[in-house]
Amino acid sequence: MTHLASLFVLLLMTAPVYGQASFRTADGHPDLQGIWTSASVVPLERPASLKGKEFYTEQEAAENAKRVLGMSSWERLGSQAPEHYNMSQYGLDLSQAKVASTLRTSLIVGPEGRVPPLTPEAQKRIAERAARNRGHQFDGPENRPLQERCLIYSSEGPPMLPSAYNSNLQIVQDADHVVVLQEMIHSARIIPTDGSPHLAQSVRQWYGDSRGHWEGDTLVVDTTNFTDKTAFRGSTANLHLIERFRRIDKDTIVYEFTAEDPATWTRPWTAQIQLVRIEGPLFEFACHEGNQGVANTLSGARAAENVSK
Amino acid sequence: MRTKLMSLAVFAGLILSVAPAGAHHSFAAEFDINRPLKLRGTVTTMEWVNPHSWIHIDVKGADGKVVSWMVEGGSPNALLRLGFNKSALPPGSEVVVEGFQARDGSNRAVGQSVSFADGRKLFLGGTAEGAHGDTDKNDK
Amino acid sequence: MHVKTLVLAAAILLPCAAQSTAYRAPRTADGKPNLGGIWQALNTANWDIQGHAAAAGPFPQLGAIGAVPPGLGVVEGNDLPYLPEAAAKKRENFANRLTLDPEVKCYLPGVPRATYMPYPFQIVQSDKTILFSYQYAGAVRTVNMQKAPEAPIDSWMGWSNGHWEGETLVIDVTGLNDKTWFDRAGNFHSDALHVIERYTPRSPDTLFYEARIEDPKVFSRPWKMSMILYRHEEPNAQLLEFKCVEFVEELMYGPLRKKVSK
Repeated sequence: MTHLASLFVLLLMTAPVYGQASFRTADGHPDLQGIWTSASVVPLERPASLKGKEFYTEQEAAENAKRVLGMSSWERLGSQAPEHYNMSQYGLDLSQAKVASTLRTSLIVGPEGRVPPLTPEAQKRIAERAARNRGHQFDGPENRPLQERCLIYSSEGPPMLPSAYNSNLQIVQDADHVVVLQEMIHSARIIPTDGSPHLAQSVRQWYGDSRGHWEGDTLVVDTTNFTDKTAFRGSTANLHLIERFRRIDKDTIVYEFTAEDPATWTRPWTAQIQLVRIEGPLFEFACHEGNQGVANTLSGARAAENVSK
Repeated sequence: MRTKLMSLAVFAGLILSVAPAGAHHSFAAEFDINRPLKLRGTVTTMEWVNPHSWIHIDVKGADGKVVSWMVEGGSPNALLRLGFNKSALPPGSEVVVEGFQARDGSNRAVGQSVSFADGRKLFLGGTAEGAHGDTDKNDK
Repeated sequence: MHVKTLVLAAAILLPCAAQSTAYRAPRTADGKPNLGGIWQALNTANWDIQGHAAAAGPFPQLGAIGAVPPGLGVVEGNDLPYLPEAAAKKRENFANRLTLDPEVKCYLPGVPRATYMPYPFQIVQSDKTILFSYQYAGAVRTVNMQKAPEAPIDSWMGWSNGHWEGETLVIDVTGLNDKTWFDRAGNFHSDALHVIERYTPRSPDTLFYEARIEDPKVFSRPWKMSMILYRHEEPNAQLLEFKCVEFVEELMYGPLRKKVSK
């Protein structure tokens, strides 16, 4: 009887340690499920004017958010493209989406807040690739950007980054898997948490091969086996990613990734993004099926060449 | 013309290096800033597809002949999130499209702005972006 | 009296024989039959959902590799009740299958074809959502297990709402566009297609799958297909990427390529 009573007291005492006890699946794992957005008013790299300043004050953050959300899509994306549909009309402006609030001045954490310098080998590799494509950007489908070809969007990841719009994902879990489903381009990354090993080195994938395990309330995901086609920010097939997902309250997951590729960057670097809950559902983004971009761009280039003859 | 295409290629590369995913492939290579247009027509169908929606309209020319055009718009997913659905732009709707024609001369255009015949903006309205320099739009 | 009872008993029991639900699957933590795992159909329905003999393929250069393998068929009664104009369209589809079959262009396969593509798919089952991830073309769909609104538009993989009926997961699929086929033989549908799927565990490593097809614009009455789905048992089984879009670019865009002049 006394045993039971003391056990009961012990349980009560330890309950606050598991503050997220309400955020647990029926299997007892931390519950990351739901529909989330990674949209952000903060850029990946810290602007030079904010060098050394990792965090805004509350007021500065509010002012920055107001400034960014007040921009037209073109100002924010850094391009002036009049031959384009009106993004506001289709609800695709950042101001028309839910966005996390953050005090960070950049997604990349730390005093620098910038991607580390490229290795000399990487600089050479990237320059050579650019040189090969120069003057050939409209030759054939293989010369067009991966996004235009609906092969993969760089925001999908891993690692995932905010996209210009539809920056949405859904997480579904069972006892042994966590699935991260990106709206664009409908990629379902199934992360086993059953301790199974990585794929053989000979099998390379656009999304790599992810393996997860739980460390307390955090899902830690290790991804290797990339191809050299994904080329995340100029990286190679040797890219190694560690991601962390931790739900901190009912409507927020802190997502963090560390990217490492000694063939590309002089040191690993880490970025952190707030994922905020949104109302679902995700809608199908069948990109290739409705893609006119590659055909129309090549057709336009051929027409322009004929005119110049 | 060749030089122009080369500078567009550089321009396209620039967009892609700074912009997050989903910001576009080179619209400048697909559509011609020197072919602005204003189309008035009747919707036959709207394709609620990705990566870009397409509004198909029948335009009656001065000669009385009806020409079919397809007009490029944005991903419809945000509209769906806001509660729009496929009945939001029914066939038969009269619309006015301001935009630019395809570089290859086909009956394809990017719809910089789309309105109903009575002037109400389609979907969420918003301001017409850009129109840098060129205001000489031909009625077709 | 005795004979009557026997006849009555037989009448009750016989229709159920085809779908024996004697097996009770292990439960998930929230008490539902656990359908989680990697599954695959072992038939040639993707070539032709009706019974068919082996046949030469469209490319003699591919020899036996490109041939059509035989199949018993998965359509109950083996009859597809096409309306007259639709039957003609089916024949036309078959004749032009190289240009018209959406699979050639790596387009999303739709439902039910995604189920019996000759590649595995994985079910990740949660209480509010059941996710189906198909190896082919990275096709994916989420099944809403709660109350859900109607499909706002049509899509390739449709709009899926699910519920449990005893041991069976029942999925109601609407909002399918008219761009997918049932197989490579030209069997097709309109955007009025309504599919009701039933997934029933029948042993630890097999599911009984049934899809009821209703499309009044194409078929004179609803019809059903059914098959067994087999669990992948090899250690460390996982889906792999089959992003086929890059494999079809030459086919789709090759003619628009810049001609290299000598």
